[in-house]
Amino acid sequence: MVRILNTFCVALMGLSILALYHVSERTRIADVELSSVDRQIAREESTMSVLQTEWAHVAGPARIHALAESRLGLTGAPALQLSSFEALPRRGDEAPLTDTPIRQASAQVPAN
Amino acid sequence: MTQGPTIFQRRIVIGAVLCVMAFALVGVRLIDVTLFRHGEAGAVVGPSLFARADIVDRNGDLLARDLPVMDLYARPHALDDKDGAARDLARVTGADYRRLKGAFANAKDPYVLVARQLTPDVQDRVMHLGLPGIEFEPNTKRYYPDGRATAQLLGVTDPDGNGQSGLEGGLDVQLRTAPGVPVQLSIDMRVQYILGNEVEAARQTFHAVKAGGVVMDVNTGEIIAMVSYPDFDPNYRHMIGDDSDHNIMAADRYELGSVFKVLSFALAMEDHTTTPDEVFSIGNGYRIGKFTIHEAEHMPATYTAREILAHSSNIGTAQIALRSGGVRQRAFLDSLGLLRILHTELSEYARPLFPAAAHWGTIETATIGFGHGISVAPLSYIAAAATVVNGGRKVVPTFLKRDADGRGEQILKPQTSLAMRELLRYVVTNGTGRKADIPGYDVGGKTGSAEKPIPNGHGYQPHVLVTSFFAAFPIEAPRYVVFVLLDTPHGTKETGGIALAGSTAAPLAGRVISRIAPILGVPQKPVAPAHEST
Repeated sequence: MVRILNTFCVALMGLSILALYHVSERTRIADVELSSVDRQIAREESTMSVLQTEWAHVAGPARIHALAESRLGLTGAPALQLSSFEALPRRGDEAPLTDTPIRQASAQVPAN
Repeated sequence: MTQGPTIFQRRIVIGAVLCVMAFALVGVRLIDVTLFRHGEAGAVVGPSLFARADIVDRNGDLLARDLPVMDLYARPHALDDKDGAARDLARVTGADYRRLKGAFANAKDPYVLVARQLTPDVQDRVMHLGLPGIEFEPNTKRYYPDGRATAQLLGVTDPDGNGQSGLEGGLDVQLRTAPGVPVQLSIDMRVQYILGNEVEAARQTFHAVKAGGVVMDVNTGEIIAMVSYPDFDPNYRHMIGDDSDHNIMAADRYELGSVFKVLSFALAMEDHTTTPDEVFSIGNGYRIGKFTIHEAEHMPATYTAREILAHSSNIGTAQIALRSGGVRQRAFLDSLGLLRILHTELSEYARPLFPAAAHWGTIETATIGFGHGISVAPLSYIAAAATVVNGGRKVVPTFLKRDADGRGEQILKPQTSLAMRELLRYVVTNGTGRKADIPGYDVGGKTGSAEKPIPNGHGYQPHVLVTSFFAAFPIEAPRYVVFVLLDTPHGTKETGGIALAGSTAAPLAGRVISRIAPILGVPQKPVAPAHEST
């Protein structure tokens, strides 16, 4: 009986050693893969960080202003050129847009 | 008779028990890890890439970020041609050739720092040199996408990532404590750009030595924009021409002149020592002891209090200030925070200059009434003036986003604040601030033209001015105040050679408001045809 038990324990131990070795090896490989993925994530985050910063630079107000002036011929908009919908004339109104106070008022913004 | 287990059998049993216990322990741990702790794997966070947190504006737009760069080191003993390597590395990286040559020749120095914070293109050029003994160490460099537009406000860091000036210095601990959590400012980058664009254009037009501007929310105390010129490029940090890293709006103190009349009138209205319609004698001079107060320009014999503010009469304001008295005036200015250092999130601040209580006599009360004899930081003045128009409650400026009402102690009665708003509107429609009157928005404000003191402290420099304009809009229920300042402006052909605030600072404030009000969502008023024809 003791011999059977001993044999069983030794067999169990052998199997356990094999299983542990297998798990250990899989863990080591997973760790290497994890490190690789971590490094890749860090690289991608770094690249994204640079790209976001570049975007902030190229989409900054100074650049947009310069491009709007040089490419689109836009100038600094006085307040009343940015009017509200309520201030726009309705279809059938007697006063056309060119005679509305809005258009006249925008010319009143001090030039300097 | 049964025989007991031999010593070997007992040892085997003990060994087996120990093995079983060890396996049981491993089994329990496996069950614990697989069943109860599997969620923790996702919570493992690697070290942060960067040392300082991002800075973003109130809309989430990026203002400052650490970018990955490389520091370059060399091992001189591995270099065959030390002199040639020093020359090549100096050419490619911009490092000092003589320093490198000396360091490479020094046998005691096994590891020499060649250059810091190399960008990827410079790194590529170094690699193409093909030199042995070259090593790159990862590092970070603080980058500011908007460059000069935020330079004076954000400040800079040193090469080791420590905040040196501006908000980088003032928020250094917060930025370093949680590198992954962006710090959101109250600044609106669109307003910041417009303010800078207009202030710098005015500085060029009027050939002013310095200029600055601030936009502030009167209810929350949030600074929406702040600029100071001359400025500098925070990404290169080499001062070119008249570049300066000095923020005049926070770190300098000025005798601001007539914009202080707003405070004298607020005190008089609060204490009912005068009414807007009371008539005062103006004349050619107002004598106090051995001193005589004069006007900057000719004025009629009498003015109502309303006209005194509208036309910025020193003599009239001196009389009104004297009715309040020196003790009350001092206590009022102190309650507005003008006699103390204003501490904000900026690392810069200025100590106000004013007479000691024992020397705050009649003449001091009169001159401080119209803004002479007291020097404060422009930012301190803006906070005090915002208190006058926001319903009378003290507000402290902040550069961090704050949605809640930031108003505190009630300094003035709401009725006083309302009366002051009406007076400030009158200044813009009928007084020295007419050039700040823009269609679509009711602006209230006050001009200030102060002669600059002689640096040795004895007297003032004739015709050398600091001009400023304080504006609130929409004046019927102010949401924002704008303050602009020009240090030593010169008149132009368009202004008839006049450099006073009504011709220099007031139109500047008007242009700023006309551009930022639609962005800030301030509702427009319909424009009456009668108004347009003026």
